Amino acid sequence: MPSQANSPLPSGFQLEQYRIEQQLSLGGFSIVYLAMDADGTPVAIKEYLPNSLALRKEGEIEPQITEEHQAAFRYGMKCFFEEGRALAKLMHPNVVRVLNFFRANNTVYMVMQFERGRTLQDFIQRNRGEVKERLIRGVFTRLLNGLREVHAHKLLHLDIKPSNIYLRNDGTPVLLDFGAARQTLAADTPMLKPMYTPGFAPPEQFNDREHLGPWSDIYSTGAAMYACLAGHAPQRSDERIKKDTIEWATKRFAGQYSAHLLETIDWCLQLNPLDRPQSVYALQKALLTRARVAAPEPPARLIDIVGNRLRALIGKS
Amino acid sequence: MKFTIYQESRAGSRPNNQDRVAYSYTREALLMVVADGMGGHLYGEIAAQIAVQYIIEAFQRNAQPLLRDELMFLSRSLSNAHNAILDYAFDKGLPEAPRTTIVACVVQNSVAFWAHAGDSRLYLVRRGRAIAQTRDHSRLQLMLDQGLITEEEAARHPARNRIFSCLGGSHSPQIEFSSPMPLFANDLIVMCSDGVWGNLPNDEIAHQMGEADILKVSPRLLDEAQHTGGETCDNLSMLSMRWHEDYADGLPASISTATMPVDSVTTQMEGFARGRAPDAANLSDNEIEQAIQEINQAIKKYSRFDPGR
Repeated sequence: MPSQANSPLPSGFQLEQYRIEQQLSLGGFSIVYLAMDADGTPVAIKEYLPNSLALRKEGEIEPQITEEHQAAFRYGMKCFFEEGRALAKLMHPNVVRVLNFFRANNTVYMVMQFERGRTLQDFIQRNRGEVKERLIRGVFTRLLNGLREVHAHKLLHLDIKPSNIYLRNDGTPVLLDFGAARQTLAADTPMLKPMYTPGFAPPEQFNDREHLGPWSDIYSTGAAMYACLAGHAPQRSDERIKKDTIEWATKRFAGQYSAHLLETIDWCLQLNPLDRPQSVYALQKALLTRARVAAPEPPARLIDIVGNRLRALIGKS
Repeated sequence: MKFTIYQESRAGSRPNNQDRVAYSYTREALLMVVADGMGGHLYGEIAAQIAVQYIIEAFQRNAQPLLRDELMFLSRSLSNAHNAILDYAFDKGLPEAPRTTIVACVVQNSVAFWAHAGDSRLYLVRRGRAIAQTRDHSRLQLMLDQGLITEEEAARHPARNRIFSCLGGSHSPQIEFSSPMPLFANDLIVMCSDGVWGNLPNDEIAHQMGEADILKVSPRLLDEAQHTGGETCDNLSMLSMRWHEDYADGLPASISTATMPVDSVTTQMEGFARGRAPDAANLSDNEIEQAIQEINQAIKKYSRFDPGR
């Protein structure tokens, strides 16, 4: 049963000291707005509003929460607090900053620094198949600095994907949306399903959540790098477990990128957590290693592509 | 911190329960205590009550939310609890101070420390095997250590309840401390009075509890011990705690301290009546306000380090 979408607060609405400009995104768990603070500085405000538990009808301000959902709503709020608490302690240029936290309209709000730029998802869409190796190495090495900070605080992000990686105008990445971080909801509150994005989530996130660890974020990071090359996520890991038909980066993009980068990506995408880089540092080291073989010149690349197609036709070489 | 915990204390076949068990935790630290007041002595129940209450209160004062020094805390609070029992005896003009065994365990930063006096036990169980346990302060244990008697003889020995160290009484306690024991996910700490371990076969606790759901197995083990104890069954108390990875997923009935306000302490004590763990879904308005206030304090505190400001 698709749950009804919540309508956002109207533009121009004065929420404490902030004025809502527009809705930036709508998730199953929250709505994110662009707003201006009293000084006219833009901020991003995240409103806790789980679709399945609270309903805000068009033209209303306070969401309605039925009596039966009250407990689950409050429980979800606890998780929202965890996200706030986690982010409040993270002071890192590659992790989004929390500026304020408050309660209003029967729910809670988290104010974050607003960054100008666009998501990596956006960037990939616009530069489909043209994302350069240098950029991938540069963006992900910096992003992993942020992720190291996250892991150092005993947190997992658990929803790393191109649309949660923000590229500032100067090209530096920021890790966004910690809504899935430590979302410890699954088992006993069926109303609040844990969030993940198929294609980027590691297999252990589907059924084996006790085995989540830094290696889970590393799988997602690998999938995000893969998406930079392919323009889309690799095969979903829950399907891969049943029948693995992933097109390995080393095969599919051979010749277009250095073998070293492709091997690193495939290393992250191993189904068995133990076969992946075990820490962010290990992956970072791999990304910082100079490509052993430089990407071949375009003519060679064309031949390679033809060769790949041929091989694909003939079968696995 | 994330853990699942179970505690229960039963009178067995005795008219009153002289055992006390309790745990208390802040966001960063957990304390568990089992005390077995000595029946042959005056006011054993009072000794157990004073000891547990004293140690728990010391924890609540000192864990903010971490204890500064775990061993120092155990050392101080146990000896002070001993003195508190002596003071009580003096105030009441008792001819002899009442006595109790004690075993107390602190977990913080994923490391466990414990201390004990007497024959209430602590087992650290990993993958179905007890990898560490306390040694009873009993004559019998000494005789066992010296090879004077065998385990079977010990189980039936008439003096098996005689111990040489406890809180209260006329001698200073000999408190024994563990070395720091790092906990891994799924590690289990079981603490119990002799009414439990004395009525169960060796290794039964580690064996049964290994990987099982402690909320189900703990009461079953108590049933089993009580059954073995029969018509003269001693008081039975047990406290079992399964440790979880911080980012382990919401296991039903586990306690996550991550959402606790920084200055709050939760305490459960048993011996009088049975209690229930607080409902995780119950988030009062007050708690919401506290959480928000705390997050804003953290934001303020950490933004001082912001290089961009």
